[in-house]
Amino acid sequence: MSGEAVKVVVEIAVGEASHVSLADADAIVAVAQDVGVTAIRLVDHVGERQTLDASVVAAYLAGKYTDIGWVIDAPTTHNAPYNLARRILSLDRATGGRAGVVLLAGVGDEVSDAAAPDRDATDPADRWIEYARILTQLWESFPSAALLGDQENAVVAEDALIRPIDFVGRFYRVAGPLDGPSSVQGRPVLIATEPAKVGWSRVATVADAVIVAHGEINNAAAELVAALWSAGRRREEVALLARVNDTRAVPDLDGWSAAHGVDGIVLAVEGGAREVLSAVRDLAPQASRGRPGTLRTEFAVPDPERVRA
Amino acid sequence: MTGRLHLNVNILNAGVFGGSWRYPGTDALASYGIEHYTAIARKAEAAKLDAVFLADGPSLDPSIRHRTGNNLEPTTVLARIAAQTERIGLIGTLSSSYNDPVEIARRLGDLDYVSGGRFGWNVVTTAGPVAARNFGRADEPDHGLRYRRAASFVEQVVATWEGRTELRSPQGRPVIVQAGGSNDGKRLAARVGEVIFSADQDIEKARAFRSELRSGAADFGRNPDEIVVLPGLSTVLGSTEAEAKQRRELLDELLPDAYARDRLSGQLGFSLDGLADDEPIPAHLLRDPAEAGGSQTFNRMVRDIIDRERPTLRQLLKKLSGGGGHRIVVGTPEQVADDIERWFRFGAADGFNVMPDVLPSGFDDFADHLVPELRRRGLFRTDYDGTTLRDHLGIGLPDARAVDESSLVSAK
Repeated sequence: MSGEAVKVVVEIAVGEASHVSLADADAIVAVAQDVGVTAIRLVDHVGERQTLDASVVAAYLAGKYTDIGWVIDAPTTHNAPYNLARRILSLDRATGGRAGVVLLAGVGDEVSDAAAPDRDATDPADRWIEYARILTQLWESFPSAALLGDQENAVVAEDALIRPIDFVGRFYRVAGPLDGPSSVQGRPVLIATEPAKVGWSRVATVADAVIVAHGEINNAAAELVAALWSAGRRREEVALLARVNDTRAVPDLDGWSAAHGVDGIVLAVEGGAREVLSAVRDLAPQASRGRPGTLRTEFAVPDPERVRA
Repeated sequence: MTGRLHLNVNILNAGVFGGSWRYPGTDALASYGIEHYTAIARKAEAAKLDAVFLADGPSLDPSIRHRTGNNLEPTTVLARIAAQTERIGLIGTLSSSYNDPVEIARRLGDLDYVSGGRFGWNVVTTAGPVAARNFGRADEPDHGLRYRRAASFVEQVVATWEGRTELRSPQGRPVIVQAGGSNDGKRLAARVGEVIFSADQDIEKARAFRSELRSGAADFGRNPDEIVVLPGLSTVLGSTEAEAKQRRELLDELLPDAYARDRLSGQLGFSLDGLADDEPIPAHLLRDPAEAGGSQTFNRMVRDIIDRERPTLRQLLKKLSGGGGHRIVVGTPEQVADDIERWFRFGAADGFNVMPDVLPSGFDDFADHLVPELRRRGLFRTDYDGTTLRDHLGIGLPDARAVDESSLVSAK
């Protein structure tokens, strides 16, 4: 990833009271897109307080702003994997391949729990990796190349290329395939956060990007390299993003990032819309401009075909 | 009845006919792109329709080789449409069997808020083993269980919305939409439905269905005037009657035969292999709809056609045209307006869930020619009176009943 411009993701919590309002979020995205921010991260909750559903907010704002990426937080809790896979891929397709998900470790959902293969399986970290694998497999289960639209021969899709995943794990059993074709970036970007909680060894096998806290940055790059090596992957295949609360913490973004082996930052400003806007404007001279490509291109991580190669 | 019709457009991917995606001048794969949906929604808003409607099921339809399918998740599509429109209602189908009630209450309530009070939830129980297998099950929960769960599920979700103090939408909470012609479905509709989709071929039966729902709702202590009954209506329009008929015939020719047979076989619950095309379906194969599995409504629809018209297999396939059994009207805008007016004045419908033959062309014709004709007759609004879906439908916000969360029925 060396040589690439440092990527900036702006994190916001959209809702009422302690969060920024929908109208404020709209204004923040407008400025963020203008100054060349790579993506907006929409969180699921702050402490105990839930935000507006991140997939709804992302789909709504993406209907207004087409030149910025979308990273949405989603917990395993209350989300059956098939449903979440569909939502994220729908957003990814609607945005021209500019979507990713931060999969949060949690518990199960009411539908899947009633049919769980192993009722004794409870470890959230084990659930997380199983869930992440289901997502990536579903996202590739209906390759876009299968869509033909051959009117003459009455063939919509070459169904032999569309494969069920027939996943059977300890937490979930999911047949697939997904209802819609893969996106232009191959599949949505899968992002892990708090890697120590889920375990670097698990994260390294599936994640396209990892978000770590500012305070953990000194160990993170080394941990990531070691875990990727064990998983048979290269450092270039994963974007490492440091979550910072204040632009003043990283006055020289490029220099700081290079020194710490970081590919980008997630700017999570404490405060309201005014503070967020002010921090985003401060970034202007540092962020790259121009119409962005897919989120994978922006993060400089390979598409799934190259991952497999 | 308000004296004005309610109209939704069902954006059923490429159109309701099985051959729609092959119609000349149609982009075969347009329905795999988001702009197809947002563009039709903007057109529908310009025509002042009540709402756009998205059907859905959490699975890939096995007929994908021969016909386009629904392929984008409805809440993400509707949220995008909300950003690009101001007034039009947004109705999305989501399964009560395969969603977590806590998650769906939050997401749908938030979509209603974000859209400024324009969302309606079409509750379906989702028939069939294909979807079941995406959620750890080998087969669909039985019909009665699916509907018992749906009732407890909807009441829990509505109670959650009612309990909101923040992020309440201008219409209070989403509109509950329901379809289902089975006894279980009718009971659910009478209990919780505010907009009811139906599938009747016959005007007398449709009126009886509407009356039954209204009195059923009254039995649950509800105001029957706050129920809007919208039969599905497949439209094939032409500037002359001959042109419309030609369009219909061409659609029949374009219908992939393998698809039509698979679909009918699914609706009837048995294989058509080995049956003669030029003879009626043998009576001994036809089972009671309640025992056939899958959707009882469409099984019953097809059975009614068989009983009434005794078609050969070939004639039946042609009559259904891969469209699933909703009533098809073919004609000029004036002729179709006559039909719509007749059903409306007869008390068989409060309006229609319109399923254009081919999208977008069939809806363009509907919006450009049929809607103005309905307006000339004073049957349809010339502008929106309000901003929310409840405003458009002319329904208020009924009291939500208190529920015990432990009463949720598991779909297992």
